[in-house]
Amino acid sequence: MHEVPLLTVVFRNKLFMMKKYWKSVEEYQGIGAGSEMNAAETHKNEFLELMESDFLKKYASRRDFLKVFGFSLSSAALIASCKRPVQKAIPYLIHPPEIVPGKALYYATTFFDGHEYCSVLVKTRDGRPIKIEGNIMSPYNREGTTARIQASVLSLYDDARLKFPASDQSPASWDAIDGQIIKDISRINSSDGEIALLTSTVNSPSTIKLINEFGSRFRKFRWVQYDPVSYSAVLEANSISFGKAVIPDYHFNNAAVLVSFNADLLGTWVSPVHFIPKYASSRKPDNKEKPMLRHIHFESGMSLTGSNADKRIRIKPSEERLLLTELYNTIAARTGGEVFSGATGRTDISELAGELIASKGRSIILSGTNNVEIQIIVNGINTLLGNYADCIDLKRNLNIAAGIDGRMEELLNDLNAGKVKALFMYNVNPVYDYPESDKFVSGLKKAELTVNMAGSMNETVGKARYECPVHHFLESWDDAEIIPGQLSLSQPCINPLFNTRSFQDSLLKWSGNPVSWHDYLMANWQNEFFPKSDLPMFSKFWDMCLGNGVFSYDISDGNPVLFNQEGLDRAMNSGEKSVSDGYEVILHESVALGTGMHANNPWLMELPDPVSRHCWDNVAAVSPADAAKLGIQTGHLIKLSDGLILPAFIQPGQAEGTVSVALGYGHTNSGPVADNVGINVYPFARITGGNRVYGFTAKQPENTLKQSRLALTQVHHSMEGRPIVRETVLSKYRNNPLSGNELHEEYESKHRTLYPDVKYDGFHWGLSIDLNSCVGCNSCVIACQAENNIPVVGREEVRNRRIMHWIKIDRYYSDTPDDPKVFFQPLTCQHCDNAPCENVCPVSATNHSSEGLNQMAYNRCIGTKYCINNCPYKVRRFNWFRYTNNKAFDFNTASDLGKMVLNPDVTVRERGVVEKCSFCVQRIQEKKLQAKLEKRTLKDNEIKTACMQACPAGAIIFGDLNDSKSTVTGLYNNPRRYNLLEELHTLPSVGYLTKVWNDEESKS
Amino acid sequence: MYNRKIRGPLVEGNKTLSQISKEILSPMETVPGLWWYITFGISSIAAIFGFYAIFITVSRGIGTWGVNNSVGWGWEIVNFVWWIGIGHAGTAFSIFLLILRQRWRTSINRAAEAMTVIAVMMAALFPALHMGRVWLAFYIFPYPNTRGPLWVNFNSPLFWDFIAITAYLLISFSFWYLGMLPDFATIRDRTKSKIKKAIFGFFGMGWTGSGRHWIRFESLSFILGGIAAVLVVSVHSIVSTDFAVGIEPGWHTTLFPPYFVVGAIFSGFAMVMTLMVIVRKIYKLTDYITDNHMDAIARILVFISLIMGTAYSTEVFIAWYSGNEYEMFTFFRNRITGDFTFQFWGMIFCNALIPQLFWFRKVRRSWIGLLAVSLLINLGMWFERFNIVVTSLSKDFLPSNWVSYNPTYIEIGVYLGTLGLFTAGILLFFRYIPIMAVSEVKSVINIGRKSDD
Amino acid sequence: MKKTYKIGIYDDEETFISSIKSLQQKEFKIYDVFTPYPVHEVFHLLKLKSRLPTAAYFFGLFAIIAVLAFLYYTSVINWPIVYGGKPFNSFPSFIVVTIVITIFTVTIASLATFSARSKLIPGRDNTIFDHRATDDKFVIVVNTDTLGDSGSDQIEALMKEQGAVEVLDKEFENVIA
Repeated sequence: MHEVPLLTVVFRNKLFMMKKYWKSVEEYQGIGAGSEMNAAETHKNEFLELMESDFLKKYASRRDFLKVFGFSLSSAALIASCKRPVQKAIPYLIHPPEIVPGKALYYATTFFDGHEYCSVLVKTRDGRPIKIEGNIMSPYNREGTTARIQASVLSLYDDARLKFPASDQSPASWDAIDGQIIKDISRINSSDGEIALLTSTVNSPSTIKLINEFGSRFRKFRWVQYDPVSYSAVLEANSISFGKAVIPDYHFNNAAVLVSFNADLLGTWVSPVHFIPKYASSRKPDNKEKPMLRHIHFESGMSLTGSNADKRIRIKPSEERLLLTELYNTIAARTGGEVFSGATGRTDISELAGELIASKGRSIILSGTNNVEIQIIVNGINTLLGNYADCIDLKRNLNIAAGIDGRMEELLNDLNAGKVKALFMYNVNPVYDYPESDKFVSGLKKAELTVNMAGSMNETVGKARYECPVHHFLESWDDAEIIPGQLSLSQPCINPLFNTRSFQDSLLKWSGNPVSWHDYLMANWQNEFFPKSDLPMFSKFWDMCLGNGVFSYDISDGNPVLFNQEGLDRAMNSGEKSVSDGYEVILHESVALGTGMHANNPWLMELPDPVSRHCWDNVAAVSPADAAKLGIQTGHLIKLSDGLILPAFIQPGQAEGTVSVALGYGHTNSGPVADNVGINVYPFARITGGNRVYGFTAKQPENTLKQSRLALTQVHHSMEGRPIVRETVLSKYRNNPLSGNELHEEYESKHRTLYPDVKYDGFHWGLSIDLNSCVGCNSCVIACQAENNIPVVGREEVRNRRIMHWIKIDRYYSDTPDDPKVFFQPLTCQHCDNAPCENVCPVSATNHSSEGLNQMAYNRCIGTKYCINNCPYKVRRFNWFRYTNNKAFDFNTASDLGKMVLNPDVTVRERGVVEKCSFCVQRIQEKKLQAKLEKRTLKDNEIKTACMQACPAGAIIFGDLNDSKSTVTGLYNNPRRYNLLEELHTLPSVGYLTKVWNDEESKS
Repeated sequence: MYNRKIRGPLVEGNKTLSQISKEILSPMETVPGLWWYITFGISSIAAIFGFYAIFITVSRGIGTWGVNNSVGWGWEIVNFVWWIGIGHAGTAFSIFLLILRQRWRTSINRAAEAMTVIAVMMAALFPALHMGRVWLAFYIFPYPNTRGPLWVNFNSPLFWDFIAITAYLLISFSFWYLGMLPDFATIRDRTKSKIKKAIFGFFGMGWTGSGRHWIRFESLSFILGGIAAVLVVSVHSIVSTDFAVGIEPGWHTTLFPPYFVVGAIFSGFAMVMTLMVIVRKIYKLTDYITDNHMDAIARILVFISLIMGTAYSTEVFIAWYSGNEYEMFTFFRNRITGDFTFQFWGMIFCNALIPQLFWFRKVRRSWIGLLAVSLLINLGMWFERFNIVVTSLSKDFLPSNWVSYNPTYIEIGVYLGTLGLFTAGILLFFRYIPIMAVSEVKSVINIGRKSDD
Repeated sequence: MKKTYKIGIYDDEETFISSIKSLQQKEFKIYDVFTPYPVHEVFHLLKLKSRLPTAAYFFGLFAIIAVLAFLYYTSVINWPIVYGGKPFNSFPSFIVVTIVITIFTVTIASLATFSARSKLIPGRDNTIFDHRATDDKFVIVVNTDTLGDSGSDQIEALMKEQGAVEVLDKEFENVIA
C-alpha cells in the first residue's frame, strides 16, 4: 500500500534533480546509457516516454525511504485516489502541428526487404507507427498485405536491432568508422584491389544510380545481388529464351487455366501480395463475363497454393522435368510443333494438355523450381500456347529478385582466392542462409576491409570488421520501381530509434559526397521522374508522390519478344531422364517466416502454418503412407541426414517418398525469439548446374523414437461429416445456386423461438466471409493481432492450446489422407444475436449492443470461463497468465520498447479476463464519430475491420446488415450464404459463402 | 406404524436416559485414541498441500491448471459438483426422513448434517478458485453501486448457483445448529469443567427444555424441514442448470435436474454410510447405529442406483432418439467408445452395477461390504461428473477446437486439500460436538422396545 | 423480591404426565415443566401452541413479492440489457432466484423470531430450576408464593403420590425465562 506513494515521491525528487542538471539533450542521453531511454531521447518529442520501474528502484535508497515515509502517510489519502504509480511524461517543447493527441496519422511508404514488396500506409499514433495497411493507391497490391508485411511494424521495436556502429565488435562513433573506411578503400583502390558490394535485391532506381556512382570511383568494383531464396533460374531462363533477365508478371485474372509446378504463388513464391488479388478475383463463380480460373497444381509437399488447387497431383521433385517435357511434347504434337525425345512421367497429362490447348493463349504454366532447363521448358510451353500475349508479361516485369547464383559463387571464390580486398554487405545474411556459409566466412577473413550494414542482429553480424547498422524501413527514405513504370516512395514515419544510418547515406559519405541521401533522392526524382508527370512544379509533384506513396507512368510496349529455340533444344536434351527412387527432401519457405529474415518477430513465430497448423518449430512433413511404412508418428524425431534430426509431422497430401522441411528456422544469433527454434536447413540446399537447389535426395529417414511435443493449434482434421465448410462444384452451382447449401433453407424453415426477435433500429453490423476467395494466407490473423494488442503466449502455452489469436483460420481435410481436399475457414467471434455466451455470464460482462455486437466489458469480467464453455464456436480466449510486463512471457509486451507498438485505442487485457473479437469496435466508433462531425451518414465499406482491410483476396466484407444496399447485405442474399452451426439458432452475424471448386465432380 | 417384529428396536440394549447422554457424549469427554491423531495429521498434511496449490493458483493464475481455451472447466468444477452432491446427504436425511416421520433417522442425522456443512464449504471453495480474478468475486453480488446502474445477469445459471449454494450453506448450518441446542444444554448441565460449562453455556443460548422451548423448537424444525426440503431439491437442480442451460452436446438436456438431485442423494448417502461404518466401529456405538440402520441405508442406495441406471440409459437413448449428430457423437464416440471410455464405464460399473450387491442381506450386514460399496459409489459419482464436464467440452461442435484435457498437479493438489480439510473437519466434529442428537435419541428410546406397540 | 417454587422431579414420562393431570384437576397453576425431550402430551395439557408457522407464511409471502419486484426493477426499469436475444423481462429465469431467496428469507426470519420469542440468545443464561432436566429427569415447577403453606404441602403430597422421586423447594431472585 505504501509502495505507491513512496515510489512516486522519490521519483519526483529525482526528476527535479535531473531537470536541474540538464544542459542539453545529448547530456541527458548519457544518463540513459544506450538503452530505450537513450533511444527515446534521440527522437525528442515524438512520443510519451515510459519510465522503467527498475529505474525507480535503483534510486529509491533506504534514506529516501525514511525521508519520504512521513510524506507517504500524509499523502496517502491523496495517492489512494489513483491506483497506478504516476508515470513520467515529457511534454512537447514545440508542439508539432500535425499531431493531434488521440488522432491517427497515416503515412504512405514502401515495404521492401529484398524479398517481398508492398506499398503500404503506416498508421502512427503520437508519432509511433503502430499498424501497417495496404496502400489502396498502389495498383500493385491495392489494400492487400501479407502476414509478414503486417508484422514488420513490430520489427521496428525489436530489441535485437543494432543500436550503434561498431568497429571490431566494440562501439565506435560514425566519424571514426567513416575515417577508417575511407582510408582503407582509397588504399585498396590505389593498390588495384577489387572492391565488392554484396546486397540483397535492390529495386530502387535512386539507390542503383548511387551504387553505380559509388562503384565508378574505383578501378575494380563489382556489385553482386544475393537472394536467400533464389529466383536465378527464372532470370537466366528468360534471358536465354527472350534475352531479358527478368521475372515476368503473371495476369491470373486473364487466364482460364493455371498449371503450377511446385510454385507456391499464394504463399511464398515471388510476390503473393501481388498474385493473390488477381488469383482470387479470377475465381469468382458468380462472375458471368469471365469463366472461373481452373487451377491444376503439381507438387510434392502440401503448400498453401496446392491446397487451393481444383486438381492437385502429387509428384516427386525429380519427376517435374519429365512431366514438363511430356507436356511440351503432347501439346507440340497436337498443335503441330517440334516434338523432342524424352522420357515420360508417372501421371497421365494428356487430359491436361487437352485443357490447355482448349484455352490457348489464356493459360499460365509456372514452375517454382530453381533450375534453368526446367524454366526454359516452361517458357517453351507458354510460348507454344501463346500465353505471352496477355497472361504473362515480360515487358512490365517484376523487379523483386535480381540475384544470379553464379555471380555469388564467383564472388565467394574470388574472396577466398584473395582477389576481392574489400567487401561491403547490405541487408544480407549469407552466414545463415548461404548453403556454403563456411566458404563465405573463410572468404570474409581473407578480405582486408569488411563492412556489414544490417538492420538487426543476425548470424553475419560480428563477422565483419565494421558494423554500420542501417535504419528500419519505417525510419528511412527510399524509393522502388517494382514494375517498370510503377514507382513508389518510402518516407520515415518516426525518427530513428537508435544510432543508425541509412545504407545510402553511408555510401554517400564513403564516396565523399556531401549531400544527404534525402536530397540525393529528391534530386534524382526531379531529374528522372518529374519530367514524366504533367505537374508544373516539382514541389507539387513531390508532395503528391509522398502523399500517394506511388507514381506511375506509361512505358512504351515496344516490339513483342521472340522465343529462342536453341535454348529449348539444349534444355530438352540434358538433365536426368528418370524419376529417382530414393527419398527426396524439399526445403521450402514457410508462409509464416518466409526466408527467416524476420524470425525474431514473435507474431510471425507464433503464426501457425496455414496447412499444418503448427508453429514455433520447423518439422519434417512425411506422407501418411511413408509414416505407416516407417512406423513414424507425429512428434517422433526422425533423422533425414547427418546433423538433420527433426520432429516428424504426418502431412496428408505429401507425395510418397518425399519429405518437406521449412527454411528460415534454427537461428543462432538473431535474437531471443528466433534463436534455437527449429533447425536451419539452408546448409542442406545444394548447388547444381550453377543454381541453388532447395532440396536433396536422402536415405530412408530413420526414426530415433524420441518424442518432441509440437506446438499444434489444431489436432483434429476431419469435419466428421458436419456441414461446417459447405462445398459444391462449378457445373452444379451453375445449374442450381443452392447446390451444396441445401441445408440452409431447411434449417431456416425449422427455426422457432420462444421470445420475440430483438429489433436493431440503427446499425446491425455483419461480416461476410467468402470461402471461395479465402486462400488461407493468414494475413488477417496478424493484422488482428497488431490492431487489437493480442499477446504472444509462447511455445509452451501454444502446446497447452492457449493461443490467443482472435481470428484463426481452421483447416479441414476431406477425402483420403493421401490425396485430400483442403478447406480453409477463417473463424472469429460470430456475434450471434442469440449468443449462448451472453446468457451465462453471471456478472453481465458480456452482453449485446444495440448494433448487434456481442461486446465484452473487460473490467467487469471475473473470469468464470462459463462463456468460453458455452460458445459453440470456441472463439473466446482467456488470459491464463499476466501476459504483459511479465518476464515469463518475454515478448513484445514485456519491454517498454516493444510496448510502443500497442494500439492506444484497445485495452491491454489483465490476467484472468476473457477476450475475443470485437468487430474492431474502436474502428466502428472512430468512423461513426467522423461521420457525425461531418454531419453525414456512414458510407458503405467506410468501416473496415482489421481483417477485412488486410485481406489481399477481398474475402472478408464488413458492413451494415440493416442497409439493404450495402455490399455485405448483398452477400448475405447470395444463395451461397450460410451461417456456421445455424441449426443451433444462434443467429450469427457472420455469414460464410459456399466453396465452389472448378472441378468436374466433388469427391466428398 | 413401526413394527418391531420385522425391524427390531431402534436403540438396542435397554438404555436408561442418563446412560444415553453418557454414552453418546463420551467421545467428547474421553481423550481420543492414537488413530485420531494419526488421521488428523495425515489430513492436515493434505490440507497444507491444498493451501499451497491454492496459493499458486491465486498468485500465478489459472494457467497453472490443465484447462485450456476449449475445455474451460476441468477438475475444479468436477470436484465442486461432487462435493455439493455429498453435501446433500445430511439435509436429505434430516428433512426427508423427518417429513416422512422416519424416527430411525435420529441417531444418524446429526453426523449427516455435520458432513453436509463441511462438504458444502469444500464445494463452495471451487467456484471461487476457478475465477480468473477471484479478488473481484464480489461483483457477482447484486448490490447497489456507484458504477452507475449496474446489476448482475439474473439469467445466468452461475448466478442462480451462487445464490443457491450460499442459501444452502447457511440454512443447513442453522438447521444443524438448531438441532444441537438441547444437547449443548445437556452438556452444560452435566459437565464438571468450568470452561466447558462456559462455552456450552454460551452456545446453548440458555436452553432449559421448558415446554415453551420444546413446542417452538418442534414447530420451527418442521418449518425449516419443510422449506429446506424444497431447497435440497432446488439446489442440485440449479447446479444441474449450469450444464442443462448450456448449449454443449451432452449438457443441453432436460433430464439433468432430477438426475442430478438423485445422484446427489446417492453420493450423499454413500458418504454417510462410509462414515457411519467407521464411526460405529471406532466409538462402539453399534447400539445406537444398529445393523438395521445400515441395512436401511443400503436398501435406499440400491433403490437409487436403479434410478441412476435408468437415468444413464435414458440419456443415451435420447441422444440416439433425438438424431442430433453432436449428441450422438458425444455419447457414442466420445463416452461409450473413444477417449473417455474409462470414465464412462467406470461410472456405469460403480453407480449402476456394484450397488446391486445390496440385494443380498449378507452384504448389507457385513461392514466390509458396506464400506467397499459405498467407497466405490463415491468414486463412481466423481466419474459421472467428469463425464459431464470434460467430455462434452473436449469434443464439441467444431472439430478444429477439439482438445484433450489433463489436470496438473496444482489442480490435483486443490482436490487433495479439500479431502484433507473435510476429514479434519469431520474428526474435529467427533471430538467436540455430540455426534448424535441426544434428546432425539431419548425420545425414540421406547420405540420397538415395548411389546405393546 | 424472592419467589418460592415447588419442584417435582420424575424419572419417566408416565408418572410425570399423570402428576400434571392430577395437579390440574386440583386447579393448581403449573408454572412450567422441563423435559429432556419433547413430550407431546404436555403441550395439550398445558395448552401450549406456537404461531411460528403463520409468521413463516407471511415471511414467505413478503419475500416472493419483494424479490420479484427487485428483479423486475433492476432488469427492466433500472438497467435494461439484452442477453442472448432475450427480452428484458425474461420471467422464466427469474423464477429460480425467487424460489431460493424466498426459502432463505423464511429460514432466517423464522429463526430470528424463534430466538426472540423463546429468549434464546447466545450467552444468555435462563434460570435452570433443576440441572437434571436436560439429562434424564422430568421436572414440574409450581409457583407457591400465593398458595401459602397448606397449598404447597398439598402439591408436594400430590407429586409424591404420583411418583415423584424428589420434591424440592427452591427460592429464586427474579427468574429469567
